[in-house]
Amino acid sequence: MRMREFLLAARVDATALETWVTAGWLIPRRDEEAADFSEADLARACLIRDLQHDMGVNEEAIPIILDLIDQVHGLRGMLREVATAVCAQPDDMRRRIAVEIAARASLRADRSETDT
Amino acid sequence: MRHEEKILPADPYELLGVKKDASADEIQKAYRGLAKKLHPDLNPGNKKAEEQFKDVSAAYALLSDADKRARFDRGEIDASGQERPQQRYYRDFADQGASRTYTSDAGFADFADEDLLSELFGRRGRGNLRMRGSDMHYQLEVEFLDAINGAKRQIMLPESATLEVTIPPGTRDGQVLRLRGKGRPGIGGGEPGDALIEIAVRPHPQFTRKGDDIYVELPIPLDQAVLGGRITVPTPSGAVTMTVPKWSNTGAVLRLKGKGAPRRGGEAGDEYVTLKVMLPDTPDPELETLITQWRAARGTGAHRSTGG
Repeated sequence: MRMREFLLAARVDATALETWVTAGWLIPRRDEEAADFSEADLARACLIRDLQHDMGVNEEAIPIILDLIDQVHGLRGMLREVATAVCAQPDDMRRRIAVEIAARASLRADRSETDT
Repeated sequence: MRHEEKILPADPYELLGVKKDASADEIQKAYRGLAKKLHPDLNPGNKKAEEQFKDVSAAYALLSDADKRARFDRGEIDASGQERPQQRYYRDFADQGASRTYTSDAGFADFADEDLLSELFGRRGRGNLRMRGSDMHYQLEVEFLDAINGAKRQIMLPESATLEVTIPPGTRDGQVLRLRGKGRPGIGGGEPGDALIEIAVRPHPQFTRKGDDIYVELPIPLDQAVLGGRITVPTPSGAVTMTVPKWSNTGAVLRLKGKGAPRRGGEAGDEYVTLKVMLPDTPDPELETLITQWRAARGTGAHRSTGG
């Protein structure tokens, strides 16, 4: 979608949007020198708006939060791929992996208990 | 997702956890606190947070507007009187992979540095699946001398194919040879896996090996033990002659430098020859006479040599 439509849908003003794009918080596609915003860009803009206006997050903290959120989604994506790959394995193998994960999780819990 | 929603007619004050007479500032502060906890984009995997966030947002929309708050307080409108337009949250796009521009692998990029995990997390373009083929494991028994001198062997593979294996000189028992690219083929243009061949070296009747050194026990006749001389010694690379110094006893160790197993870089271990003095196979009257004379000349019994 074009800039005008985007501003209306995201309920932000053009100056703010320009700052966000310049800062790299939003990366719209560009064709023939005009920005083309996706639905994902819109949702991301709404998130930035929520952070700034509703939650009072200051300018400096926004990129930190965005970066962490981007990492979480990268991790979620990878975790889902790993889980899907595990599910594609034969029953016996899946069970062994599940047991291994459970054993490691409880080991970690034990360790953190003795640490504190 | 624009179905009619029945918002619970919950008390907006209760939802935000503020008193009926809370100031606008207090209401904002309460809302911010909850929003930081409940915003769906800050809780990508938590569906409940979204419901709670909607309720809290609706409550805030009502109470942050002085006019609406007054009307609600007067009972003119109920708690569900206002609803924010449905917001499509960023997490939904991110979860569907529709935001590749933003999604970052920095959270696990270091996994690729670990040997075990690099296969899973490294060497992979985002999006299209490219996987290295898996490694294949084989075992191969080789003769002692072939392991030391090097040899070529063939392994029969299941699909009537063969695998040519070059056993490098100096190969040890238990050593694993890696044949690059001879494992399973890769997926999506990924490189093939390797063939890993574990070598089992058969023992040798004469030689034993410790590290790169070779040990051998060599019987020598009595006369050579006493007088010294040149003898022929077997080594893994063939027989050589060496000089036995005169008066060499059983257990004396001679070293043949560089006659052990080859090492990488051209050097080689040594061969240690342990001498074992042998009497002639059949009794020799001449020798017996000689020894009798020798004993008489020394004037003592044979036990003297073991005494002190």
